[in-house]
Amino acid sequence: MHDAMTRAGVRARLGRRSPWVAGAAGIAVAALALTGCSGSGSGSDGDAAAQEKTTIRFLYATGDETWNSVVDTVVKAFNEQSDTTTVQLDPLPAGSDYATALKTMDATGNWPAVVDMRDTLTYVNAGKLAPIPDSVTELIQPEAFGTAEDGNVYTVPYSALNGEIGLNVVYNKDYFDDNDLEVPETYDDFLDLLADIKANGDAPLATAAAEVWPSDQLWKPLAAPYFAQYGDEGGFWTAAQNGDASVEDLREPLQELLDITNDYVLEGWQSTADAQTTTLLVNDMAVMATSSAGIGRLNDINKVDPDFNAGLFIIPAEDGTINVLKNAVNGDTAGGLAISAQAAEDDDEYASATEFLEYFYQVDTANLMESEGWLAPNIVASDEIERNTSIPGSKDYFALLENPNLQWYENVSDLSTFSAFNTFFRQARIEMQDGQSSIDDTIAKVQAEFDKTVAAG
Amino acid sequence: MTDQSALQGQTQVVGAAVRLSGEGPLDGAPEGVPDDVSFVPTGPAPQQRRTRRFRSARWVMLGFIAPALVVYLLMVIVPSLQSLQLSFTNWDGISPDYDYVGVRNYEEILTSGRFWNAVRNTLILGLGSAVIVNAISLGVALMLDKVGRWQGLFRTAVYLPSLVSAFILATVWKYLLNYNFGAVNTFLRDAGLPEWARDWLGDSSIVVGVILFITCFTLGGNTTLIYLANLQSVPQELIEAARIDGANSRQVFRHVTWPMLAGAVTVNMTLAMIAGWTIFDQVMVLTSGGPGFVSETMAFFIYKVGFGEYRAGFGSAAAIVLFLVVIVSTVAANAYMRKREIQA
Repeated sequence: MHDAMTRAGVRARLGRRSPWVAGAAGIAVAALALTGCSGSGSGSDGDAAAQEKTTIRFLYATGDETWNSVVDTVVKAFNEQSDTTTVQLDPLPAGSDYATALKTMDATGNWPAVVDMRDTLTYVNAGKLAPIPDSVTELIQPEAFGTAEDGNVYTVPYSALNGEIGLNVVYNKDYFDDNDLEVPETYDDFLDLLADIKANGDAPLATAAAEVWPSDQLWKPLAAPYFAQYGDEGGFWTAAQNGDASVEDLREPLQELLDITNDYVLEGWQSTADAQTTTLLVNDMAVMATSSAGIGRLNDINKVDPDFNAGLFIIPAEDGTINVLKNAVNGDTAGGLAISAQAAEDDDEYASATEFLEYFYQVDTANLMESEGWLAPNIVASDEIERNTSIPGSKDYFALLENPNLQWYENVSDLSTFSAFNTFFRQARIEMQDGQSSIDDTIAKVQAEFDKTVAAG
Repeated sequence: MTDQSALQGQTQVVGAAVRLSGEGPLDGAPEGVPDDVSFVPTGPAPQQRRTRRFRSARWVMLGFIAPALVVYLLMVIVPSLQSLQLSFTNWDGISPDYDYVGVRNYEEILTSGRFWNAVRNTLILGLGSAVIVNAISLGVALMLDKVGRWQGLFRTAVYLPSLVSAFILATVWKYLLNYNFGAVNTFLRDAGLPEWARDWLGDSSIVVGVILFITCFTLGGNTTLIYLANLQSVPQELIEAARIDGANSRQVFRHVTWPMLAGAVTVNMTLAMIAGWTIFDQVMVLTSGGPGFVSETMAFFIYKVGFGEYRAGFGSAAAIVLFLVVIVSTVAANAYMRKREIQA
């Protein structure tokens, strides 16, 4: 009796649902039929392959137009030739705080497989990155990547390892020719150049500080001769950490920074975004502009105004030395491409990320990058790369690499939160340049923050 | 003016209706039994039945709110309590481990010039936007209340800016106020007033004021609508009575309309202040807290140190301080305004 009642109940329930079941079945049949139709057109083998493809995401910072087009072109080319992997672009809009985005992504447990990495050491220590396999590193020149303390490689370069040689001044060559101006060979020459342009009634230099980090573009070349003095001691910040240097030792370059800002920088720099300096330059609103994108900035200028005759130089030291930072390739400041530990938990994702990076370091890919105006990374087969010298000003860039006055120096810090201190230092400098605080106050404030950073380890 | 809910007659009527429709405690007693003799009802007492019904209804109600309550607890209350715990640590926000540092984060916050600058900006933006937005919104609502034709069009025009997100609106303002290419400075230069052109978002002496202006622009729509709704519910007979007594428009507003708006003022001021205390989008888009640290607000400061500088413990401590500031200031302001409502 009970059984019968139950079955009756089931029948009754089924009876009530039958129109829905019939509807769902009808939709399913129709869907299958449609799938069959489309399959007959394109071939079932292709569909099967497409279904097996692993999709991975590639997170990268936008902002530099050349880098954006390089990423786009390389990923498209990769997706077309890969039978197993599809790479989806995960761009972070320009102006965003990239470090914050990385942290938010970590907090949500939403790591992409391949990441254009920042603050690498912090994430390596937290176990968020996976080792880059040998099949990738053996395609890259050994001096272009480094191992972490545990012996693993966590980041590989996405462009040529030329340190901060991209941190330079881009200028209007035609203006220089018309006014008999020369590229400065010493720091005094640079000051004279600024004064000459100002005397002509023009704005000598455009720089940017809206996103905070571009404030390095003027500061670092001025501070380089002072930082370089501590190269043998592991860099200025290491010396400061050991008590052999202090922020007070940077008083002179801070004064130079303040003087140049007050006397020669185009007004509105506080709210000017990095990318806007290109616009200011090509619209003749300034004769020179600071940049940190090197040849990429020249390429941007060429895209905006193909007739603009751009040149490029680095602010020299008083003795004519061109000091350029070239840190070790691993550490908190070393960016690069990384594979996330989250992706490595899935064998397919890890294999796909590896496949993409292997493709990234091929000669054909390097040529693709060069054609987009990017300096391809230092791959083992670098000799086979066809360098792109067609961009106006790029010859100046390559000449810098051959300049006999070029001197590389190191200034790396092993403090795990150094990047946070660096952001504070940038903001404190902007405050000083803006006249909100004196040099004395700035030095005291930055020293206190540095001491706090050292104490925190 | 009297608080309508406090009308004595109304309360009595409601009280009588309740008594008449229900059953008294002796309603189940057998007839002829003296009132002072105790008895035991044969079935469940009506009071008990009501209690049981209420209890079962309460469980049903709890069942309805449980899903939302669970989500709220997990997404808001638990993380908030966790923030309190993290505020006593040196967690960087990424590493799995951290150490307890006692009240060091709080000490550092309270001795930090950067933090107090953020507090000052937050107070300026919070109180400033609350006062300005309310004043402008009330004025606009009064005008809208008087508009005879195209009232819908004007209401839409006033409310429209509120439909745009603060982020997008701030981005538009950022372009408008750009020093070199912005429409505002271009207009001033073209109008022969180049000396009036300013670096609106880069001049440290005015940047907080500029953010205040943009914030007020965003917040006005809702406030205006609340005032307008309250204005339209002011009894016309009161206004007419005042006019018959010889009051002019100003006196009518001061002695009739304004007291009747007391509740709306409390709501609008509270909402505007809370929105002001937590201003973030505008600062993020327009200045990133700069130039330097000059335009950082507390919310932005928390974001910056907690996320950008890998100091989640320190950021949590700052968030706790912000919570206290919001609670204390809002409760104090509310208490003051409520007192005014009673007086009204």
